[in-house]
Amino acid sequence: MVIFFNIYMREKLEKLRASAVVEIQKIKDLKKLDDLELNYFGRKEGKLNLMLKGLKELGQEEKKVIGSVANELKSEIQILIDNKRADLRSIEINEKLSTEWLDVTLPTGFEEKRGHLHPNTIIERELEQIFKSLGFMVADGPELESDYYNFEALNIPPDHPARDMQDTFYIDNKAGKEKLVMRTHTSNVQVRAMQKYGVPIRLIVPGRVFRYEATDASHDIAFRQLEGLMVGENISIANLIAVMKVALKGIFQKEVRVRLRPGYFPFVEPGFEMDMGCLICNGVGCSVCKQVGWLEILGCGLIHPNVLKAGGVDPKKYSGFAFGVGLTRLVMMRYGIEDIRYLNSGDLRFLKQF
Amino acid sequence: MKVSLKWLKKYIDLGNKVEAREIADRLILSTVEVEGVVNQASLLDNIIVGKVLEVRAHPDADKLKVVMVNDGKDTVQVVCGGSNVTENMLIAFAKIGARVRWHGEGDLVTLEKIKIRGVESFGMICSSAEIGLVGMFEEREGEILDLTEKKLKLGQPLAKALGLDDVIFDIDNKSITNRPDLWGHYGLARELSVLFEQGLKKYETKMIKGSKDINLKVEIKEKNCCRRYMAVVIDNVSVGQSPEWLVKSLQTVGLRSINNIVDITNYILFDIGQPLHAFDANSIKDTKIVVRKAIEGEKLKALDEKEYKLINDDLIIASKSEVVALAGIMGGLDSGITDKTTKIIIESANFEPIGIRKTSARLGLRSDSSVRFEKNLDLTMTETALRKAVELVLQVCPEAKVVSAVVDNQQEKVEAVRIDTNYEVFRTKIGVKIENKVIRDILEKLGFKVKSHGDKMTVTVPSWRAAKDISIAEDLVEEVARVYGYDKIEPTMPVLGISLPEENFVRKLSAKITDIAVTTGATEVSNYAFVSEEQLEKLNLQTKSHITLLNPATEDRTLLRRDLFLGLLQNVADNLRYVDQINIFEVGKVFLSEQAGEDVRPGVGEKLPAQPVIIAGMISSEKNIEPVLQSKQMVEMILSSLDFVWQEVVDSEVAEHLHPFRYLRMKFNEHTLAEVGEVHPEILSKMEIKQKVGFWKINVDNLVKLYERKYNYKPVSRYPGVELDLAITVDENIRWKEIKNIVQSTEPKFIKNISLFDIYKSDKIGVGKKSLAFHILYQSEDRTLDYEEVKKWQEKVVGNLEKSVKAKVRKG
Repeated sequence: MVIFFNIYMREKLEKLRASAVVEIQKIKDLKKLDDLELNYFGRKEGKLNLMLKGLKELGQEEKKVIGSVANELKSEIQILIDNKRADLRSIEINEKLSTEWLDVTLPTGFEEKRGHLHPNTIIERELEQIFKSLGFMVADGPELESDYYNFEALNIPPDHPARDMQDTFYIDNKAGKEKLVMRTHTSNVQVRAMQKYGVPIRLIVPGRVFRYEATDASHDIAFRQLEGLMVGENISIANLIAVMKVALKGIFQKEVRVRLRPGYFPFVEPGFEMDMGCLICNGVGCSVCKQVGWLEILGCGLIHPNVLKAGGVDPKKYSGFAFGVGLTRLVMMRYGIEDIRYLNSGDLRFLKQF
Repeated sequence: MKVSLKWLKKYIDLGNKVEAREIADRLILSTVEVEGVVNQASLLDNIIVGKVLEVRAHPDADKLKVVMVNDGKDTVQVVCGGSNVTENMLIAFAKIGARVRWHGEGDLVTLEKIKIRGVESFGMICSSAEIGLVGMFEEREGEILDLTEKKLKLGQPLAKALGLDDVIFDIDNKSITNRPDLWGHYGLARELSVLFEQGLKKYETKMIKGSKDINLKVEIKEKNCCRRYMAVVIDNVSVGQSPEWLVKSLQTVGLRSINNIVDITNYILFDIGQPLHAFDANSIKDTKIVVRKAIEGEKLKALDEKEYKLINDDLIIASKSEVVALAGIMGGLDSGITDKTTKIIIESANFEPIGIRKTSARLGLRSDSSVRFEKNLDLTMTETALRKAVELVLQVCPEAKVVSAVVDNQQEKVEAVRIDTNYEVFRTKIGVKIENKVIRDILEKLGFKVKSHGDKMTVTVPSWRAAKDISIAEDLVEEVARVYGYDKIEPTMPVLGISLPEENFVRKLSAKITDIAVTTGATEVSNYAFVSEEQLEKLNLQTKSHITLLNPATEDRTLLRRDLFLGLLQNVADNLRYVDQINIFEVGKVFLSEQAGEDVRPGVGEKLPAQPVIIAGMISSEKNIEPVLQSKQMVEMILSSLDFVWQEVVDSEVAEHLHPFRYLRMKFNEHTLAEVGEVHPEILSKMEIKQKVGFWKINVDNLVKLYERKYNYKPVSRYPGVELDLAITVDENIRWKEIKNIVQSTEPKFIKNISLFDIYKSDKIGVGKKSLAFHILYQSEDRTLDYEEVKKWQEKVVGNLEKSVKAKVRKG
């Protein structure tokens, strides 16, 4: 009897297994798989449990045998269900993913949302950074300046021929007596800075300057310069060259060859034009350097004793150098801008390129 | 200034080994800026002497002709527009490959074979301007160069045929502003003699043998303005064409020949840099010359045939009765040399530079003479030049005779300039250990006399460098350094103590604001500091407190800006042609006459107008977002990023260029931190801008005074908050700020945040009404709030809103 029951149970379990295998195979969605799992393994109504309830009457030995068969069956079916679930999940995710196909090449409109620094500012900041790291302070000065600081204090008395070198905008000074001008160079800050900060001093002054002249592709009535000044004991031409070389290396990110030529600026003595080896052709000659191999990059010199005196500095004890870089020229060189007038045009088609 | 190599070689033997380019390079590195080196012959490559064989009408153009030209070997067909082309004419024929300047203008163009109105042309028959020979020949407008008279050899290269084998250096006048000695060939030759270590020929002149036939009188009334005046009378002069060497010499420096006498004075000007003037002696009454100041209103018709009205600052040369020349600038037409002149007075003088400069600038009359006098000339040259002039006149006109004594009226004996210094100064300033001997050698080669006593030295400056050019030791340092060679100076870093550079807060803050603006989507522009009075008036904006330029460059840039507004607005108008969304800003100084800025000079008390740095922007977009609120957001981003706290103030008075009901000020205590607004619709319509434009503005100079970074942090509450929503209907002109204040003040301790999330208007809620929906966050720092308690507060909030602004709560 017991043995028959035993065989009977085994057959039933076997049938259960067979039907589970078939049913699992047929299932197409996760919800139905959950139902199936409940249908077989549910505590109260699960087919397997219902079937095993009949084991109560069996003896210890039989229970053990049938129980282990049933457990084997259970874990076998569980594996089938788990595998099926994993399969269905991956099908479902893949379906979801494919419905979420997106054209990621669509434009985001970032061009309209993005702001841009003016190219003047970009280069000005680079220079500021370089000189700050060399211990220079960054100063400012008036753009509407007195004739005194723009010319006289710089060793350019009234009616000096050097005034021709810088065509000047004059201001109608209704309230005062002094002659006022729009500064023609950032050198106006030289004497102001020495008076304010004393010596030793290392400073740069970036800023707008103004020239009364006809405009064309390379001339505008307003452009930018960067003035530099270093005053201390025994500052020499050799020092000037060394500092300029380091600064140019910072700007162009490579070793730059320089040469000095005589240049006349009344506020320096001696005065120089500094050229740098053309980086486009490495000095062989090209259209950028007009076949010369050199590009004029800045004016500089040892500060004239009269200028030191005007700044309250004793020229017997101190010496110094000054330099003026055409910031606008650097900007044009860096970006290959062929017409200076773009820079003050406010044209967003131009400005949004930087 | 143009300089001829052949001319230089009169005074220095450079041999044939030194290339012109090398001379230019050496000058560039040690002396002056050479802007160009032009080989006359190279410009005339492929241009030869040709002959016109046949002239036919062009089948398809009235003004053109088809010309058959013999180029010495072949016969070629050319289309020519020259009005004077005739058969058998000798011409300047540019073959294919030659470089010419079309109609004498623009850049050089290389000739190619072309078809002109259907007829092939194999070259070009040139005018003198087209091949850079302007001024050498008589030629009328539209004519080609007729060489028939010159009897040149057919087929010969034109350069060779005309003897054009010189090299011309173009020297930048600015680079010799401080070197009066270099304004003539002899001075440059002297410079080259040092640079190339070659001997310099002495500038030879002969003593003038005067006579007493004519009593030449010179009276100098302005002794300060005329430091030396020499003159002499020569009779029996025959005015006429100059010898060829003279014409050619002047041609190399860009001058056209006028007549032999004038040419001689011009030649000497370019030879040694001393201007001369020749008068027709018959036009000077009683041969008496007066150097005086003009009488206000006196007039002179000068050699340029223009009449100049003089003022009493102008120095003039006069006869007994009338003005005959503007001293040092230009002679008068009536006293000038003509074909009929037989008796001349040659003037060689030295005038005070500033006066010459002032008069020449005031009259807008600059001449080769005035640019030299402006620069302080060597007083010894006056005599050298006069001697040379007399010598040349007598050479060119052998019949001529000096008929007066040489008048020499010199005001003061010139003391030689001496500079006391020492050798160490040179080494310190240059930064190289140069030996005493080398320093001394260089100075002596340049013409300085050096007396040494140990390391000390006394340097005597030669007369040609003493006229204000060299007066201090630093000037001598330059002389030594440039001849020693700047390229030989080894760069050496200065030895300086480490120090922290002083911070510039205006720049620092400007840079921060700029960065935030850019990150927020704004693009930086740069505008001119000038605005147009006319434009301001057109827009009904005030102009009177603007500072005025005395010499504006253009009519639309006459005033200094007081604001960045107008420039930005123009940018908006310009850019709206291409885009519909604009977000721009500018960093720049503005100019305020009513506020005091920095000192104009030490110790006088007068101040410059204040020039604060302003950062301002404009925002405009087609979309349905209020640009004034976008502008506000920009300013909020900026101020909050800089840790400012502010109150919003709505003013009843708003600047004339802004919309009166769309303006807000951000304030901290009494100080305005920022302003936002919308451009007045009237201005927009005048500017033809069809969309609203928001405006924001920050005065960085003001901000700096208030700026201090705060690091105080507030602890985050550990207890959960309760967020309740409220939707109310109120009159549409009730401001959010008011509602927010009412809510906040109801339970200030526990209401931590009020955030508006919806504004809604529709007929359903009533005309003139709006609905506002917002979250209110209730939170405590020390406990979890009870929901019932919060609900009571919320009811209190509603009650207050009902009472104060007649709010109605919307349900659902």
